[in-house]
Amino acid sequence: MLKCDFCGRHAVYNRRYAGVFLCDRCIIKSVERRFRRAMGKYKLVSPGERVAVAVSGGKDSVTCMHLLADHCERKNCELIAVTVDEGIKGYRDRSMSIVRENAKLLDIEHFAVSFRKTFGATLDQIAMLAKRKKTGLNPCTYCGVMRRSLLNQAARELGVDKLSTAHNLDDEVQAIMLNYVRADFSRLYRLGPGYPSREGFVPRIKPLREIPEKEVAVYALLKGIKVHLGVCPYAGGIHTEIRDFLNQLETNHPNSKFMILRMFDRMKPHLARSVPEFELCECKICGEPTSSGMCKSCELLREFGLGLKRKTIISGKSR
Amino acid sequence: MELGKTLVRVRITGQKVARKVGVVKKTKIADLLKQLGLNRETVVVKLNGKIVTEDERLSDGDSVEILPIVTGG
Repeated sequence: MLKCDFCGRHAVYNRRYAGVFLCDRCIIKSVERRFRRAMGKYKLVSPGERVAVAVSGGKDSVTCMHLLADHCERKNCELIAVTVDEGIKGYRDRSMSIVRENAKLLDIEHFAVSFRKTFGATLDQIAMLAKRKKTGLNPCTYCGVMRRSLLNQAARELGVDKLSTAHNLDDEVQAIMLNYVRADFSRLYRLGPGYPSREGFVPRIKPLREIPEKEVAVYALLKGIKVHLGVCPYAGGIHTEIRDFLNQLETNHPNSKFMILRMFDRMKPHLARSVPEFELCECKICGEPTSSGMCKSCELLREFGLGLKRKTIISGKSR
Repeated sequence: MELGKTLVRVRITGQKVARKVGVVKKTKIADLLKQLGLNRETVVVKLNGKIVTEDERLSDGDSVEILPIVTGG
């Protein structure tokens, strides 16, 4: 049986990029230390702030909620949870109950917002319309844009100072690669541990950004955190291809993901000079901040005769 | 059963049935994953009910549970 390189107990994880074996206690401590280090190094949350964590029910977001709950308690911050119900039958309905269960366990106020109530259609309906109209867009494109917009709106309405998402190292490196492949300079530039506030946008933080996806999963399992491990029925497309490519790269050349992240972080200050300044204005349809006259959500939904139905989106809360 | 081979019981979380897989004696879990076409970055493995690294070696009659961890789009 393999032993932990730090304490000699039974090893449960091989951190190949660092060349060390870790036992259950040491991997738990290490993940928590990295979380705290990211919070401190990037000054993600200040004492007394009100923070919202976006929770889907998956391992990353539920783990992030648990880590933030502990951090916020020690830093005298208030934590609330927000879930976007995209309307994916057999997937989101199952994970929603897991979010509620965890929020109750941690005594965190939980709010839910939905595509159906806000935009007038579920993602299942939008995916069907897109197929029928042959838009050529993947459901993930609609989901990503609408979810981002809805989370920002909910966070603003709830009066929070920060909105935390649970992007881990793998998610961040995938986003870097995706923006390279798409030559999307402005989206690439916006990546980072925190996204500063601009008028209408709630500042975002990513405290799991330097923790590999597998370490988040091992942490959740060892801590006995209840998570939803279902697979989104719409997963696929270029995101999946990039993810598979990066996982193969990491298997053959451990540390590749961290190296891509480190290189990007070193390049980022130099990119600032090349990013053109732009003014934000209100979307003429929904009033959300945008750099053009119409936000991306409204632009995508207009084709189906859908759009923001109500100014106020928070309908109910549970504790 | 071929000489020098061993049988292990493999169950992938989410799949209803477990199956028996023949592997070379003292094979590492990492090699079993390769044989099954799985990437070690995308799974957590339990050997006889306990989370282990993929560098552990398999013995006859071992029970392997594979938990896929990549769920998003």
